[in-house]
Amino acid sequence: MLTKIAGGDIIDPVNGRLGKGDLWISDDKIVAAPAGGAAERTIDAAGCIVMAGAIDIHSHIGGGNVNTARLLLPEQHAAHQARPATTPLSNAGWSTFQTGCLYARMGFTTVVEPAMSPGAALHTHLELADIPIIDKATLAILGNDDFLLSMIRDDASSQMIEDYVAWTVASTRALGVKVINAGAAAAFKENVRTFSLDDVVPSYGVSSRKIVKTLQAAVDSLGVPHPLHVHCNNLGSPGSADTAAATIAAAEGLPLHLAHLQFYGYGTEGKRRFSSAAARLAELVNATPEVTIDIGQVMFGQTVTVSSDVMRQFSARGSAQPKKSVIHDGDGNGGGIVPYSYGKDFYGTMQWAIGLELFLLIDDPWRVFFTTDHPNGAPFTVYPALFELLMTREARTEMIAGLSPSAMALSTLAAIDREYTFEEIAIMTRAAPARLLGLTDRGHLGAGATADIAVYRRDQNIAKMLGQAAYVFKDGDLVVQDGEITHYRWGKALRLNPSPDKAMLRRLEDYHQQRYGLSLDWFDFPDTAIAREQPFGEVACRT
Amino acid sequence: MAVAWIGNRETLVERAAAHAAALLGSSRCPVFSLDTDIHGTRAAIALAERVGAAYDHADGAAVSREAALFTDKGAMTVAPGEARRRADVVVVVGELPQIHHQFVGELSATVPDLSTPDLSARNQREIFLIGSNEMSAPRLSNGRIATILSCGEASLGATLAALRAQWRGRQTSRPVSNFDDFAKALEAAHFPVFLFSGDATEGLALEMLQGLVTDLNRKSRASGLHLSASENGWGSALASTWMTGFPLRTGFARGFPEFDPWRNDVARMIAAGEADLHLRISSSIVQPQKKRNRMALIALAKTHEPVAGAAVTIAIGEAGVDHQAVVYSSRTGSLRSVDARAASELPSAATVIRLVASHVSAEAALPC
Ligand SMILES: [Zn+2]
Repeated sequence: MLTKIAGGDIIDPVNGRLGKGDLWISDDKIVAAPAGGAAERTIDAAGCIVMAGAIDIHSHIGGGNVNTARLLLPEQHAAHQARPATTPLSNAGWSTFQTGCLYARMGFTTVVEPAMSPGAALHTHLELADIPIIDKATLAILGNDDFLLSMIRDDASSQMIEDYVAWTVASTRALGVKVINAGAAAAFKENVRTFSLDDVVPSYGVSSRKIVKTLQAAVDSLGVPHPLHVHCNNLGSPGSADTAAATIAAAEGLPLHLAHLQFYGYGTEGKRRFSSAAARLAELVNATPEVTIDIGQVMFGQTVTVSSDVMRQFSARGSAQPKKSVIHDGDGNGGGIVPYSYGKDFYGTMQWAIGLELFLLIDDPWRVFFTTDHPNGAPFTVYPALFELLMTREARTEMIAGLSPSAMALSTLAAIDREYTFEEIAIMTRAAPARLLGLTDRGHLGAGATADIAVYRRDQNIAKMLGQAAYVFKDGDLVVQDGEITHYRWGKALRLNPSPDKAMLRRLEDYHQQRYGLSLDWFDFPDTAIAREQPFGEVACRT
Repeated sequence: MAVAWIGNRETLVERAAAHAAALLGSSRCPVFSLDTDIHGTRAAIALAERVGAAYDHADGAAVSREAALFTDKGAMTVAPGEARRRADVVVVVGELPQIHHQFVGELSATVPDLSTPDLSARNQREIFLIGSNEMSAPRLSNGRIATILSCGEASLGATLAALRAQWRGRQTSRPVSNFDDFAKALEAAHFPVFLFSGDATEGLALEMLQGLVTDLNRKSRASGLHLSASENGWGSALASTWMTGFPLRTGFARGFPEFDPWRNDVARMIAAGEADLHLRISSSIVQPQKKRNRMALIALAKTHEPVAGAAVTIAIGEAGVDHQAVVYSSRTGSLRSVDARAASELPSAATVIRLVASHVSAEAALPC
């Protein structure tokens, strides 16, 4: 079917297309305007902006830890009244079905679950397969697993390490690799309670830095498009800006992505010894072109922190609100679930301001990514309000008036004039994520691109405008109209598929037999286990 | 071979499914009890939403106690693989379901290979059993016997409370047997692991155990290994949680999912006469039950004859035997894909449930 989205303001930074015009879709692809072609369907986009579907690179939407968080907090997500039954199970308070619908309504069409434990890959993909409408992808966690740490300790060749990383990515159907507080989860199992970049994991004699550098090199050398995704040490602690700075310096010319930098934007100034180091970190990011970051913005209210940084979550148990938590020592990382409420007190204000400072002080929208680290800083449903804060200084000023003055005194936020433009939003939430993940088929509106398109009706109220898309197309299907789901469909999980090395497979088979008493097939699964027609979409590695 | 019956009369699966759908459509209070794999559960929950049913595990009490530990208090847990590779002290908490005895035997026959703990001259894990001699305890390797920690006739919860108090150095009215051995083992341990299940363990005992684990973690490491009373039950709980936000004992009476472990206790609803239709999904062969009231039964079971008293019976295969399936495995602590051991023509629970659902009128597409 040929569709014309007529007369909207097209915002497509990748193809340099900005301004009023038509956009054509044929079936699931964007096409050039056909010569004399007549549209079978015309969408009137006058008074609207037209962008590619948004891509979220870091949002905990599914998998063992997310599901444990649901289980821990039934009282936090009571369902509401039945909606018309066009979208099954989407009125559940916190279900996979609701997740897909809420993202789609905001014009998001691809979301990355950034913390898949390899051992829970099947579980994770089953959850993702029950998230409707949008495409998904995962990052596989490495860096606290005995197999890798032992190889590093034993000076295994880089080829062997790459073979293991390739096997992990392929067997877990991941799009990239993440390392979470490298070495700390392994050290925590041996009763180590704090862990920094140059600390050494007992029993292995391997430093956190060494793990990060090893994985960074392997990911790069394998041609995994997404750079190693790093969750640094010392998350959340005063002075963690030093750790982030040291990790940025450790990039040493190779691509490196630092997750939720806000949670490391903390200095030790002021009488509470907790201050904003955002300006310092932003300057470092600006000066280090091989580094990309996402923010992990904090917004006020109740949420739950879900993290595979088990050491940090263990130490955060005391601040659980309500007072319950789960701490799981997994194969490799495990995780911790700690509910938390961000108040407008000194600390909450500080964290909120630091996130915004980072957004506004990092110059290049191609290198800063829009996240709340859902649900850690806030649930993704706050995105419309966060867009408004980035796009209008007035909204920030209004908000600041109700926050802790002593915190604001330690932040530069109030003095920052910058307002994000729609073009910068299109880069930060579309073009740049696609490029960072190696998804050439999306993030832009050029001919041949997948027809993932978000159309927003212009409104003075940015939150309203970007919160309820006028139209959303996914793979050319019109899925949202006026902020409501109009068509139900199933997306795919995007994955790499490097072919595993045979010798590595034999090694892993022996390892699992010996150490777990189980054959390797206990940890692998066929695509048919997902029970959807096309659960996966393959993405190519760099060559 | 016949695979579907309306009453005692053989029929086509399609007709039996349509009849089941009609019964579900006219039911005032349908309830589902599940003993099935992940895809069977997914299909059942999608159907439950459509017909306003409440659902539970077929033997819901133990799984519900396990879920309650998480929904009410939280926990410290460890993956089974880590337990095998790291636990230098193993503590069996109460009576474990038979399905886990083999794993305990395996723990007794192996030694940890991580963090190289000093297992002294014996080169084996120390194994304790909280409870009494009368319990059916897992068989250990080489005829070893677990050291019993008991408080006479006291309940498991009371024994755990006494253990915790003694560990904290408090006086207890009745000391726990072999406590000194236990304390010595814990002092030296790198990573003691407590094996627990919701089976035959009152909820309070699970909380008390977690209190002890928390105490131990103040200075050193320890954790609990959750060995579920039912692998199918825990798998269903996980799938229910991602699909609705809630574990089992969730109901759709008002059109949206509501979690209420008392109100949606399906066994209770049946006993109290609240339910007027029971959909029982169990791939294993179900013993015919005596009909208690006028409640209608739809039985999906691995059977070659109609289930006694059932208004509709449809034969289904067994997950991992007749067909490929995804199941929860307490051996890995996660979901696992299993091939058909003896593939047959029998349809999966998911297939049959979807067929039933397709006959229930609704505007929405089925999500599973
Ligand atoms: Zn995260």
